[in-house]
Amino acid sequence: MTSIVFENRNITLKENESVLDGLLRAGHDIPNGCRAGVCQSCIMKSDSAEEITHAQIGLTEAQKTLKHFLSCQCHPKSPIGVQSTSLSSQQTEGVVIDKTLLSSNVTRLRLTADIDYRPGQYLTLWKDKNIARCYSLASHPNKQNYLELHIKHLTDGAFSSWVKSGLNIGDKIKIQGPLGKCFYTAGKAQPLLLSAIGTGLAPILGILQDALEKGHHGAIHLLLGARSPDNFYLVDALKNLAAQNRQISLTFVYQNIPAQNNTNSEADFSFAVQGDIYQYCKKTYPDMKGYRVFLCGAESFTTKMRKQCFLAGASMGDISADAFIPFHTSTLPPSP
Amino acid sequence: MSLYEKLGGDAAINAAVDIFYRKVLTDDRVSEFFESTDMEAQHAKQKAFMTMAFGGPSNYTGKDMREAHKHMNLTDEHFNAVAEDLVATLNELEVAQELIDEVVTIVSGAKGDVLNK
Repeated sequence: MTSIVFENRNITLKENESVLDGLLRAGHDIPNGCRAGVCQSCIMKSDSAEEITHAQIGLTEAQKTLKHFLSCQCHPKSPIGVQSTSLSSQQTEGVVIDKTLLSSNVTRLRLTADIDYRPGQYLTLWKDKNIARCYSLASHPNKQNYLELHIKHLTDGAFSSWVKSGLNIGDKIKIQGPLGKCFYTAGKAQPLLLSAIGTGLAPILGILQDALEKGHHGAIHLLLGARSPDNFYLVDALKNLAAQNRQISLTFVYQNIPAQNNTNSEADFSFAVQGDIYQYCKKTYPDMKGYRVFLCGAESFTTKMRKQCFLAGASMGDISADAFIPFHTSTLPPSP
Repeated sequence: MSLYEKLGGDAAINAAVDIFYRKVLTDDRVSEFFESTDMEAQHAKQKAFMTMAFGGPSNYTGKDMREAHKHMNLTDEHFNAVAEDLVATLNELEVAQELIDEVVTIVSGAKGDVLNK
């Protein structure tokens, strides 16, 4: 059992409790989001370099030099003092320039902001000082002068509901980042498999644009999955892109046929095939030796697909994933 | 020249670890222990294990071995399955039998720690 000192008060940490959870339990208002070391909204600092090293994964050298660490990932072995950082110094302000529904539950948000990024990286967006969420970039800095994000609307989503009904064109929004390492790096002749489910399409679009921009000439297999065919979005734009680039093959795989009464009976889903995307991948790509693979979407998808691609012969080092993880909805620590 | 150098050092391990990890993941006797939501981290652990097995510069201590495996209720059968997969990997890479024998000697030395005996 160890403790932390914050604002001259000593807080004893419970077994396996993170610095963040200890501070929240003690009633301190510490910004936080994913609690999985992804969004970096809970950054703090400490002079005890040794005790925070394990909680600096994903931070830049500059952040490490400043002795910043992720409080949600920090489990010190001996007592340490911790301080808040000025979050505003890590944030930039963006302006909403476009908000468009791409499907019944996906909103495309376009922002202007001064951010230097690689397509496929992600940003942390702040609704207010307590609610932060991560979204991956579909845009390319050389091709578009805005940042494009695809926001999936969740019924009880504190952030996505706000985007849908509270956020307007011209509004300002705080942004942190870019973060993440899932971006285009490959041999130009290597076959690529770019696979996504849901709004995993956003980073895949970023990576695809970058591959084309950098002159990738190997085959590019675009494999997109959804629960139901009416969940696919940007279908025509993707079809046009594939028609213009012969190296691109495009496949849509959906799990379930939509119930008749839920959909427009005129809807034509012949662009897509029904099946299990993992089985489809196994059957269509039995030998993936030499492939460069990018997987984006829900963590269950990237995990299962990574295994499939690896077992089919792709090298582990050639598989990159942007795994979307659920954010805790409450600001209180989960009950033990 | 050390065994690690004879086997080809870090480059050889990078070539071997994908093959080895694929084998244990598809080996019904032990696959459950290697399934993980974080396959990259598992892959890194397999690399550390192979570095140790190849007599290389490894941070793996007997205490770590014991600590990491103690709650898994492993049996001789599990241990032998992993050792077989390792030997099959080396055979696939056409490593000389005498070097494979040396690897087996190192791995056998860790058996007590792994099975918590």
